[in-house]
Amino acid sequence: MRLGLVLPEGRERELARLAEEHGLFGVLAGSGNPLTAVNAAAYASTATEFVRVIVRLSLGLEHPVLIAEELAVLDNVNNGRTVVMADTGELDEEAAVDEVLVLREALGGRPVQHDGPVWKVPAGLPANVTAPQSISVTPQPAQIEVPFWLTGRVAPEVGARLGLPLLAQSPAEVNADRLLQPARDAITGDLARDRDRVATWAKAGVTHLLIDLPDGPLADLMTTISRHLAPEVGMPHFPRVMSESRVPLKWPGDASQER
Amino acid sequence: MRFGVGLFSLQNTAMLPTHWGRAYRDLREYAQLMEELGYDELWFSEHHFFYDGYCPALLPAAASVLSVTEKLRVGTGMLLLPMQDPHRLAVVAHDLNDRSGGRLDLGVGMGYRDIEFDGHGISRKQRLPRMLRGLEVLEAEQRAGGAALWMGAQLIDPVKRAGQHGHPILFSAALPVERCRTLAGVWEEGWRESGHSGPKPALGALRNIWLTEDAEERAAARDWVRASYVQYAGLGWTLPAVGEHAQADFAEETDKAIQDTVETTISGSADECVRQLQELEAMGIDHIAFRLMLDGAPRDAIESQIRRLATHVMPRLRTHAEARA
Repeated sequence: MRLGLVLPEGRERELARLAEEHGLFGVLAGSGNPLTAVNAAAYASTATEFVRVIVRLSLGLEHPVLIAEELAVLDNVNNGRTVVMADTGELDEEAAVDEVLVLREALGGRPVQHDGPVWKVPAGLPANVTAPQSISVTPQPAQIEVPFWLTGRVAPEVGARLGLPLLAQSPAEVNADRLLQPARDAITGDLARDRDRVATWAKAGVTHLLIDLPDGPLADLMTTISRHLAPEVGMPHFPRVMSESRVPLKWPGDASQER
Repeated sequence: MRFGVGLFSLQNTAMLPTHWGRAYRDLREYAQLMEELGYDELWFSEHHFFYDGYCPALLPAAASVLSVTEKLRVGTGMLLLPMQDPHRLAVVAHDLNDRSGGRLDLGVGMGYRDIEFDGHGISRKQRLPRMLRGLEVLEAEQRAGGAALWMGAQLIDPVKRAGQHGHPILFSAALPVERCRTLAGVWEEGWRESGHSGPKPALGALRNIWLTEDAEERAAARDWVRASYVQYAGLGWTLPAVGEHAQADFAEETDKAIQDTVETTISGSADECVRQLQELEAMGIDHIAFRLMLDGAPRDAIESQIRRLATHVMPRLRTHAEARA
């Protein structure tokens, strides 16, 4: 199981950089306000080079083609590191399925011509006389296929119909048969309790766990994650002697080793 | 006087192919260079569903620049307002303005391509009412501490309205100097008639410019300007007539429209560039955005031009403007 970090609003750059320095797989941006999630994700993106930037969007707040364009730009800003976590928000199942379909078609490689129960793209409105019958959303994302994860009230139904991963909020929601099973949970800063908690998720079959940090000294919390929690779920039967032995000496004067 | 560079549109064109990822990385590097050289502003441009990836979402691109700079202002020139939900846009722009310490200039325009409206489920017939309703929302947001509003307008009525509402304007680089003079007058008239007091809002102009005394380089730069307007033929842009300035129809009268626009290019020695830019300054234009992101122009050429203008033109115009003040 791999660990990632939930970025608090307004501190995206600082925390994303730390996540990368500590070897985490990704960061979740926009958990505070989905309306400004792409801003948050862009700020996290330019502070990092490697971590995946998961952007939490709420469906039903704007035309999906416009959202797809924002995501495509974001994916080029971070050179293909975007993951979408779509919250179904207030939408019912049909509307959520239709919107996710438009988003994914728009980010795919083909011209879009969508005629669903909610969205028709292009709309074919009489006043738009010179508009063609399909559109290409450009730029195309940097990556071949933008991963879509789902969360929200009707996410299980939408996920089942579209074959997309669901964010688990409790171990009981984990589907261990899925190749990809993300989850989100908070740690406490207490090593023993956090070990148990993270191990429970790993045992349940989660592949990517996004962690909310508690208040407290950041450096200590990040060290707890990268020295203990991540290695212990990085392989079965992790020999703790490797993380609990004395920390190697620093190269004198090397500030980059300040952990 | 304040100086900027534009229009950043992040394209991967038939004439100058690149990876979009590189275009977005170059953008951040240009912005950092501009900041280091003392530029004030960077301007973006928006279109949709164009083969070359012409940037369709300006705020995420602006966020990427604002996140790696500290002083440079970033403007959308222009974001196509009728295609957005203005309430959502206001929240997103306000957030970006806050994150960047108030460095976002939210320039808005109407758009003109049927496909762009249709792809977003909007009837082109609705563009004016949507524009006006959107402006009301954004004006209220600006009063509440949101991003500064700018307008993109090249015709009498919208320019006058911008003046009446006290909105800064950024004129297109395709406007000849005389048309800028006419419209600057119209804008000022609108501003004065509405009984505004206090300092006048900004007036800006994009200008095609290339500082060089080398004939070959000048020819290349003018050809890059030409190539950049060939794209407007592809986009189907028509610039309607105003006063003595005839309509420029890039779709139907491509060669003439392009040639006329290439002639607006300021090119020559530093003295010549300064002289022509002072004409704009004399009509009250106090923001100049150098239109340097030209199709066919390699990065080295653009960078060298950004440096040359910063070294040889900007300081002289700033000194001149201070002396006038």
